Amino acid sequence: MTIADIFVGACFILGAFGAFFTAFHPNILYAAISLILSLLSVAGLYGALGADFLAAAQLIIYIGGILIVILFAVMMSEDIYKKRFFEGAKKYIWPTIFSGIVFVTLTRVMMQVDWSNGSTPDFEPTSRAMGWALVGPYAVTFQYVAIILLFGLIGAVIIARPAIKMKQRAAEIAVEDNTEEKDA
Amino acid sequence: MSLAEFLSGLNTILNHLFGTGLPMFVFSLLSAVIVILLFVMPLGGVSTYIERKIAADFQERIGPNRVGPLGILQFMADGLKMFLKEDTMPRNADRMVYNIAPSFVTAGSFGAFAVVPFSAYIIGADLNIGVFFAMALGSLVSLGVLLGAWSSDNKWSLLGGMRGAAQMVSYEIPLGLAVLSVVTICGSMSMHQLVGMQAWPTAGGEGHFWNVFHNPFMFVNFFIFFIAALAECNRVPFDLPEAESELVSGFNTEFSGMRFGLYALSEFADVILFACIATAIFLGGWHLPFFDLQNLNLGLTIGEMSLNPLIQSLVMIGVFLTKVALLVFIVMWLRWTLPRLRVDQLMNLCWKYLIPISFFNLIGAAVWTWVFEGQSLLQLVGKVLGVY
Repeated sequence: MTIADIFVGACFILGAFGAFFTAFHPNILYAAISLILSLLSVAGLYGALGADFLAAAQLIIYIGGILIVILFAVMMSEDIYKKRFFEGAKKYIWPTIFSGIVFVTLTRVMMQVDWSNGSTPDFEPTSRAMGWALVGPYAVTFQYVAIILLFGLIGAVIIARPAIKMKQRAAEIAVEDNTEEKDA
Repeated sequence: MSLAEFLSGLNTILNHLFGTGLPMFVFSLLSAVIVILLFVMPLGGVSTYIERKIAADFQERIGPNRVGPLGILQFMADGLKMFLKEDTMPRNADRMVYNIAPSFVTAGSFGAFAVVPFSAYIIGADLNIGVFFAMALGSLVSLGVLLGAWSSDNKWSLLGGMRGAAQMVSYEIPLGLAVLSVVTICGSMSMHQLVGMQAWPTAGGEGHFWNVFHNPFMFVNFFIFFIAALAECNRVPFDLPEAESELVSGFNTEFSGMRFGLYALSEFADVILFACIATAIFLGGWHLPFFDLQNLNLGLTIGEMSLNPLIQSLVMIGVFLTKVALLVFIVMWLRWTLPRLRVDQLMNLCWKYLIPISFFNLIGAAVWTWVFEGQSLLQLVGKVLGVY
């Protein structure tokens, strides 16, 4: 057993722990903090398996971006110590069904891969190959994801904007300006 | 060559003495300890002293002058005080989060020093994704700031933490775009290669001189990087997260003893880190104009062994740290010169000015690289004048 094996094993165990507490911890804040552990372990796994770019991207996107937003939302909600995340088994029906489907699919995919070459791969740079893949074979997919993100942004703007219509507001501003000028 | 490989040269001595060597991971750990204990901690400590001295000069005071000659041991006294102070915790603080929050900040800012190329031979780890790795670890810092602020159950802290996280997440974008333009013109993210390409241009050589002078877009990008880095380190004029005239001390108000010490030390470490990265990717790292230090040869030897790598290393570290010190001085100079921005001004500066300009520069740098096939302004001028 090498240091790398111990590291990978620790990442597996901590990641599973983090994921378990994220799903089942009664306090929503600790659930969010368990998510840090889980995401860090996944980054560690990526790193250990030679996907260095993916590991850093995991840190910068999931921890630097998404987790911070989650923490913002959690911390701004009132009485987070009183609210109980675990409120009866009813809430768990649909998530269980969906995650079950994902689990079965992933297991089937895992079964199809030939794992006989069990050693950890040599450290090879991956970023260049990934870059070429994103502008080559996967260019359309990449752009499609970008469009979905754009939709998300537009949706956020619509939700966040006050409900006054643009023209109406402009007219109001013009009236206000006129009265101010007359007053002056 | 990474520091760990450099150190594993010790194995020959160990083999000679004890007949057995040590496994590689021991040297990896050793190199991490050396980078942190020999570079980060003393530099962070000394820079607190220098900061106070510079502040005193700007305000026509004397500054620290009691401990040691010219007060230079002041930072050690401060460090000792931090260690010995009582570690208090607010009664309603969230115990677990309060305890782990400072370590996120420390891990983020200290860990990124692994990829800083102090010389051609001394770098903690020459990762293929070097500069991206440093930026990724920076996200741990904003996490630590937010968690620490929230957990101390203090409204000033929380305000500071919210500001800090919002600011760091926003300014990561122009910072990343400025770095991306460097990656575009150099075609690599490894710190060692990025610095290596900034040698003084010679006939048939790869070097194209410092990236900041590569083309006009890069020149502007350097300043965007510098401004965004200031905001990432929460330094004046972007020190809203710890605005002491409004928020007591901001996100670290309730922290005391060594927990506060970790926050303070990693703030200074962050400043030095960003100065190191700016030096490495924009100001040519250890490279000097007109001369490539890797050709330096004094011909000194001990027996069979040439002393060249050692001498080169020392000179390179000297050059690198001089540039870093200059940048750190400018950061301190700004601190005692500029007033603090308002929150809306801060966000306007980032989203309305820095991000559009850096996008424009990124495209400009890419087009330049495509049109002139990666040659810098200096190389083009040299070609026209027929120097090489």
